[in-house]
Amino acid sequence: MTLFLSERVRRGGRDLDLPGREEARANIHVGIDWLSSVSFGHINKIGRRVIVLGGGNTAMDCCRTSRRLGGEDVKVVVRSGFEEMKASPWEKEDALHEDIPILNFRVPKSFTHENGKLTGVVFEVVEAQYDDKGRRRLMPSGEPDEHYPCDDVLVAVGQENAFPWIERDIGLDFDEWGMPKVDEVTFQSTRPGVFFGGDAAFGPKNIIWAVAQGHDAAVSIHRYCQGEDVNDRPPPGFSLTSQKMGIHEWSYDNDVSNDARFRVPQRDKGESLKDVRLEVELGFDPKLGFAEAQRCLNCDVQTVFAEPLCIECDACVDICPVDCITFTEDGEEEDLRGRLNAPSLHLDQDLLVSNKLKTGRVMVKDEDVCLHCGLCAERCPTGAWDMQRFTLEMTHATAMTGGGACQAR
Amino acid sequence: MTYLAKPRLHHPSLSPNDLGFTRRDYEGSVSTLCAGCGHDSISAAIIQACYDLNLPPHRLAKLSGIGCSSKTPDYFLGASHGFNTVHGRMPSVLTGANLANRELIYLGVSGDGDSASIGLGQFAHAIRRGVNMTYIVENNGVYGLTKGQFSATSDKGSKSKRGVENHESAIDLVSLALQLGATFVARSFSGDKAQLAPLIRAALAHKGAAFIDCVSPCVQFNNHSGSTKSYDYVREHNEAVNRLDVIAKRAPIEVDYAPGTTTTVTQHDGSVLALHKLAAHYDPTDRIAAMTYLAQRQALGEVVTGLLYVDPEASDLHDSLETVSTPLTALGGKDLIPGSSVLAKINADLR
Amino acid sequence: MSGSLNLTNDFVVKFANVNGSGSASANSMFAKSVLRMGVPVAARNIFPSNIQGLPTWYEVRVTGDGHLGRRGGVDLMVAMNPQTWDRDIAEIESGGYLFYDSTKVLPESKFRDDITVVGVPLTRICNEVYSVPRERQLFKNIIYVGALAALLGIEIEVIETLLAEQFAGKERLIKANVDALHMGRDYVRTNLTPLGLQVRRADAVGDRIYVEGNSAAALGAVYGGATVCAWYPITPSTSVVEAFTDYCAEFRIDAETGQAKYAIVQAEDEIASIGIVIGAGWNGARAFTATSGPGISLMTEFIGLSYFAEIPAVIMDVQRGGPSTGMPTRTQQADLISAAYAGHGDTKHPMLLPQDPGECFEMGALAFDLSDRLQTTVFVMLDLDIGMNEWLTEPFKWDDTRSLDRGKVMTYEDLESGVDFGRYKDVDGDGIPYRTYPGVHPSKGAYFTRGTSRNPYARYSEEGHVYVDNMQRLLRKFETAKSLIPAPELRKSKTATRTGVIYFGSTTPAMHEALEILASKGLHLDALRVRGFPFSDEVYDFIAAHDRVFVVEQNRDAQLRTLIVNEGDVDPAKLPPVLHFDGTPITARFIAAEIGTRLGATAPRSPVPEAAE
Ligand SMILES: Cc1ncc(C[n+]2csc(CCOP(=O)(O)OP(=O)(O)O)c2C)c(N)n1
Ligand code: SF4
Ligand code: SF4
Ligand code: SF4
Ligand SMILES: [Mg+2]
Repeated sequence: MTLFLSERVRRGGRDLDLPGREEARANIHVGIDWLSSVSFGHINKIGRRVIVLGGGNTAMDCCRTSRRLGGEDVKVVVRSGFEEMKASPWEKEDALHEDIPILNFRVPKSFTHENGKLTGVVFEVVEAQYDDKGRRRLMPSGEPDEHYPCDDVLVAVGQENAFPWIERDIGLDFDEWGMPKVDEVTFQSTRPGVFFGGDAAFGPKNIIWAVAQGHDAAVSIHRYCQGEDVNDRPPPGFSLTSQKMGIHEWSYDNDVSNDARFRVPQRDKGESLKDVRLEVELGFDPKLGFAEAQRCLNCDVQTVFAEPLCIECDACVDICPVDCITFTEDGEEEDLRGRLNAPSLHLDQDLLVSNKLKTGRVMVKDEDVCLHCGLCAERCPTGAWDMQRFTLEMTHATAMTGGGACQAR
Repeated sequence: MTYLAKPRLHHPSLSPNDLGFTRRDYEGSVSTLCAGCGHDSISAAIIQACYDLNLPPHRLAKLSGIGCSSKTPDYFLGASHGFNTVHGRMPSVLTGANLANRELIYLGVSGDGDSASIGLGQFAHAIRRGVNMTYIVENNGVYGLTKGQFSATSDKGSKSKRGVENHESAIDLVSLALQLGATFVARSFSGDKAQLAPLIRAALAHKGAAFIDCVSPCVQFNNHSGSTKSYDYVREHNEAVNRLDVIAKRAPIEVDYAPGTTTTVTQHDGSVLALHKLAAHYDPTDRIAAMTYLAQRQALGEVVTGLLYVDPEASDLHDSLETVSTPLTALGGKDLIPGSSVLAKINADLR
Repeated sequence: MSGSLNLTNDFVVKFANVNGSGSASANSMFAKSVLRMGVPVAARNIFPSNIQGLPTWYEVRVTGDGHLGRRGGVDLMVAMNPQTWDRDIAEIESGGYLFYDSTKVLPESKFRDDITVVGVPLTRICNEVYSVPRERQLFKNIIYVGALAALLGIEIEVIETLLAEQFAGKERLIKANVDALHMGRDYVRTNLTPLGLQVRRADAVGDRIYVEGNSAAALGAVYGGATVCAWYPITPSTSVVEAFTDYCAEFRIDAETGQAKYAIVQAEDEIASIGIVIGAGWNGARAFTATSGPGISLMTEFIGLSYFAEIPAVIMDVQRGGPSTGMPTRTQQADLISAAYAGHGDTKHPMLLPQDPGECFEMGALAFDLSDRLQTTVFVMLDLDIGMNEWLTEPFKWDDTRSLDRGKVMTYEDLESGVDFGRYKDVDGDGIPYRTYPGVHPSKGAYFTRGTSRNPYARYSEEGHVYVDNMQRLLRKFETAKSLIPAPELRKSKTATRTGVIYFGSTTPAMHEALEILASKGLHLDALRVRGFPFSDEVYDFIAAHDRVFVVEQNRDAQLRTLIVNEGDVDPAKLPPVLHFDGTPITARFIAAEIGTRLGATAPRSPVPEAAE
């Protein structure tokens, strides 16, 4: 039997067990639960002054929803600094845009209350310190604690993936966070036949990842069911097709746009704060959408190098706007990285190193910064560079007649 | 070529020089030359040299004649004034410009047709006058722009793309420049920027007539076998006499060169040329020896490259003419017009 | 003898010498001595393209009435060259005089019986006194000046003063020369009587100066603020640069450092000369070259560049007889078309046409203002006659409040203020764009100059309409030039007339004299002297206001007339050409005869054979 678990199982997010929690419970809500209550129409208002604890996207949802349900003085208070907040930058921007201040480096200490009613939250002010290994720790700053009065608190700190219903003695190991240990390639847990994917495997990501993981898990399951090694998987396929049209024309838009990101137009703030069901983002119109699409760096179009054609004329080196091509003596990767025309900043990004050329040198390209602008290929007199569209063909699990192996594609 | 402008996006580590300019700030319009043309690489080397030299782009004037090579000043130093003159006559225009304003740096860019064929006279005379300039010939052995006819630097016996053999003797501009008294003479190769960029930098800092003959293959018309100006041929026959490091004035010379391997020459502006010997006993300050060495090596079919000769004590045309230090352009009526009282005296003498 | 000419302050003396014999300075002193007596002279060198040995003449017209053109005919021949003896003798007017060295006895057949022969044994006198051959040669010239002075009534003290001025500070030389002078005078006093030709002290010179056009133009360049001069030697322009060099050495040396505020380069050819001028002009200096016809031919490609890329340049063209090497030491006005339209494609260039050294100075300076203002090549069209001969001319004048007009130049401040700079943009509607000097601003105002078509922002473009717009603008600029070029000068006849004459340059004095001759015969003409190209409306209005307008010039193909017809709406039939192109300066007699004949009157005097050499 195989089992594939992918549901985003969550127990409503963590609670905060601080002094005053019990006494003031009527006005302290677990953010994720509160949001779903709002969504189901059970809740339609909140106090005038709201504090949201937490720095993730849930916290952003909480504070912005509060603004729509009557919260006028809504703030977000976060343990971390602004940059390290888990929320997406644009969510933070949107919150600020809706007049929601974000207070950083404050750790909640206690809830204050009077006559069983929440009156506010006390915070300890901390600062970030880094140890020898560069790990950050939040240490008391020594400044006096701060008290912010409020009518409601929404707790949006760390949602937990917990599998309370999985017994812990069945050979399925969990990590210190209570998440199952899952192989990143096969998606198999430590107990053969049990596979995880999606949020259940590595925590919240987006739907694209979930689908991809589903595909890979399916391959594993297929192989498992066939009694084959799940680690022995057919690689994904790909195809490369030249994009050259004319002497300097390509069948993709290679002109690099210098534009900065275009903002998605938003509904007027006054209007959108009135109704929690109104979409704030209006979406791009075709014109703006096109301009934004022009910013695409065409990562699917690859620079493909053909050693035998190269006459080492340097034309590609001279034209490359980001200096990512170097012709140099061959060497070990580390040594090569030190001899590039522009330093390679991301060591985790591969270098493209050619075979030896006529002069004995090699062509080294730092893929990290390539704009896929195609200028190298336009300037190349011999066609040694070509711009080719890369299409990844995932391995799909398909039952093959007779064989039982996985079919690629 | 490409018709799209080079994106302004650049590598995140692209750093400004002392003046706050990045290398990209020294670029010009996008080149319209053939893909792979050696001339474009020379433009890139010029850009590199000016960047390294911390040169304010507007203090350089770039002049050229006519030809593919002469088009290139449009493709570098967009913030400099440029002048694309007439075929073979850039040297005279540069001479005039230099006389007018001695404070700018003059870069002349020319082709082998432009300088060795139609413009041989002007080339020779600008050199022998000691005009303070950097004169680069982008030497491809053919007239690129008029589609591949032999130029005066085509070697005797070399073959055109169509297989026709050249029966005329080649003019060697380097030997000529040495003979004519150029005070900085180098040869390089467009495909060797590591050698070329420091040479240009040193030449720009040189006071006097600095000449660089830069072999620059024409991929369109002269990069076939049988050509002596092709990438392959030059790579096979290149004999570099030295490698140059230019050390800016003020910068301490930190490198400790092994004795006997390096000659240092201090130029007029205080910059130091550190020449790492590749050919034993080659002395780049001995003009006669340089000429002999060149003749011997050339006879063996070698393309001798490197800084072949430098006279750090060189003087220029302004020294010979004893002109004022203020640029002539900066002189106004007060400086130049003797006035009516002088005229009255002149009149009196003429009666 | 009876029938001998008796003329006072109105006769022509011609010296026939051998080139290189040192006669030039003696002859010039002779002319100057007449001037110093208050009597105007017009003197002209007629010399070969040779350094030594070929014949050379010096013609002095003593003209109390102030006719500075060449008259034609010779009243007194000073025949010092056996090689040209026969033709020299033939040239003497009937009743005229021959002065010769009578040391050697000549057969009767060598003389004419309708002239008076005056022999002075110059060689014998010399040989008696001097033993060094060179001294004999040089002092012989001074001796004949002394003899002539006595024969013509020239005050000997005047010549003594001239000698003292010439050799100021060299007492020994002064004395030697004065001695020689006296030897000549004394021989005449003892052995001969004064001639019928006499110089009598007058007051007709005024404050006029006596100078060559080439020097005057060079001085004009000094006052015009020229700092760069590049040239290649060619007769008759060389002395422009020699004079410029001398004037600069005198007036353009920095008092503190002793350094030069100018740069003069003798280039390898005329192409390089104009290239240097254009380079300097591009870079903001005022620069010029001086040349003659062959030089213009070589320069044309560059002149076209100056036109199209709009770079100021000044060319002083001292015209000589063409085509090809032509008559290198003779005068002509035959470069008008090649200068006006120099260069391939549609080009035209402003020209200034000075009438005498006075205007050579004026226009020599003005040319620099114009070339800066119009950002193009401006020609100053001298000719050998004005350039290499000393002319009596109005004194040079300079207004000290005048400053150099640098034209439309954007400064650092202009650029800083954020104006939209387009190198070839017509902002003011006059066709003249703004320019910047290289190096003016770190980030603004740089552009790429080229002779290739480009748009108003100096960017390469071969689009048809962009090219056409630019070419039309250049025409607008040429229109603007009309208002900047010196206006033509009108001489209205005292009697109303429907006949006119147009002329220019060195023809002027002969023309004026011819007008008088014609008027005395009852032939009246309005006269218009054009002073530059392009022609202003006044030229065409003048033509419209007359039925017939003679165009007098010194070339074969009626080049001025061609320009007039080409540049305006004129019926060529209305413009009969009067052409003189044998290489000698045009004469009043020639003009009067030509026009007189065509107007149907008898010529005042039959034309004499021109230039017997
Ligand atoms: C007076 C004149 N004659 C001929 C030409 C045509 N022409 C343009 S470029 C050129 C030859 C250029 O050869 P080179 O200087 O070697 O430049 P390259 O194109 O090879 O870089 C010629 C003959 C011209 N522009 N002007
Ligand atoms: S595609 Fe553009 S950025 Fe990438 S290597 Fe080529 S030139 Fe450089
Ligand atoms: S442009 Fe092409 S031929 Fe030239 S070096 Fe680059 S890859 Fe090689
Ligand atoms: S023709 Fe030759 S010289 Fe001209 S651009 Fe093409 S490759 Fe370069
Ligand atoms: Mg060439």
